[in-house]
Amino acid sequence: MEALIVSNILLWVLLIALAFVLMGLVRQIGVLHGRLAPAGALMIDKGVAVNEPAPKVTAADRNGRPVNFGYPSDKGQLLFFLSPTCPICKSLLPAVKAIGKARKDLEVVYVSDGDLDAQAALIREFALEDASYVVGPEVGMTYQIGKLPYAALIDAAGVLRAKGLVNSREHLDSLFEAERMGIASLQDYLHKPDNAVKIHQ
Amino acid sequence: MPLDPILIHACALALAAILATAATHKLRAPRWFAAQLEAYALLPQALLAPVARLLPLVEGAVAVALLLPASRSAAALAAAALLAVYAGAIAVNLWRGRRDIDCGCAGPGESQPLRPVLLSRNAALLGLAVLAALPPLPRALGLFDGFVALAAAAVLLLLYAAADGLLTNAPRLLKLTGR
Repeated sequence: MEALIVSNILLWVLLIALAFVLMGLVRQIGVLHGRLAPAGALMIDKGVAVNEPAPKVTAADRNGRPVNFGYPSDKGQLLFFLSPTCPICKSLLPAVKAIGKARKDLEVVYVSDGDLDAQAALIREFALEDASYVVGPEVGMTYQIGKLPYAALIDAAGVLRAKGLVNSREHLDSLFEAERMGIASLQDYLHKPDNAVKIHQ
Repeated sequence: MPLDPILIHACALALAAILATAATHKLRAPRWFAAQLEAYALLPQALLAPVARLLPLVEGAVAVALLLPASRSAAALAAAALLAVYAGAIAVNLWRGRRDIDCGCAGPGESQPLRPVLLSRNAALLGLAVLAALPPLPRALGLFDGFVALAAAAVLLLLYAAADGLLTNAPRLLKLTGR
C-alpha cells in the first residue's frame, strides 16, 4: 500500500512537470511565431495588378471636393479603405495619420462607405476633418476591395505600387518596403525560391 | 449522478482558476475589453459600458464561489451558463461570417480570430463546469485526497494553457505557410 501511494505521488509530480514542459514548449512556439511571421500586408489576388497603371476614378469627398485616383500628379497617394464598423480599421487610423504627416510627398485618402452618421462620428473621434475622406462605393468597387482595412499605394505617375490587407502598422510599412524594392507583395518575395532560401539561412 | 469528490474538487479548482485569470485580464485592460465587447456587436451601445464593467466582477465572484463547498454546485451552474453565453456570442458572430474579429478569449496580446474550434474549447470548459456541479459521493477525505485533487487541478490548468496556446498558434502557422 505504502509503495502504491509513493508511486502515485511520484507519477503526479512527474505529470505536472510534463504539463509544465508542454506549456513552455507551446509558449516558445508562440514567441517564435511572433518573431518569424512575415510582417507583410496580405495581398488578395484580384483586382488591379501591382506595378500596372492604377484605374482612374474620380469621386467627391465629404465636402464635395473632387478627388482623383490613379491620375498622374505631383504627389503619390495612399488609399486607406476603412469602415466605421471595423475595429481594426480604427486601431490603424493613428498610424495612417502619422504616415500622412511624415510623408509630405504622399496624399492620404480615406475611403469608406455606408452610414453617414457613423462616418461623422469616426471623423470627429480621430480628428479627420481636414483629411480627404471619400464616402461612396465607386472607389472600392473599382479597386475590388473585398476585405478591410485595405491600403493601396499609388505613385506620382499613377502606377499602383503596392496594395494589401493591412492589420498592423508593420503591414502598412511593408507596403512602402514593397514599393521601394519594386515587388508586388511580401508573399511574392517569399514565394520566389531563392529569396525563401535567403531568409531561412 | 454522484461523482467521486476528488474529480469534482479538481474540476472546480481548475475552473475557478481559469475564470479568475479571465476576470483579471478583463479588469486590467478595461478599455480593451469594452472595445472587444463592441466588436462582437451583440449589445446596444447603452449597455456596453455597464456590461464591460460587470462581466469581470461576475466572473470573479463565480470563481470565488466555486472554491466554497456550500456554493460550489450553484457557482458551477452559473459558470456553465456564462460559458454557454460566450459560446453563443462566438457562434452568432461566426454565423454572421465575422471571422476577422478577435476572439478576446485570453486577454490582450493573445489575439486570435474567431473560428469554430473555439466553440469546442468552450464545450470542454462547459464539461468541467457540469462535472463540478454534480453532487459528491459521501466519503471521508484524507490528506492524500487533497493532494490528488490539487495535483489534478494543476495538470488540468497546465494542459488547458497549453491547448489554448496551440489554438492561438494555429492561425499564425497557417499565415506562415502562406495558406
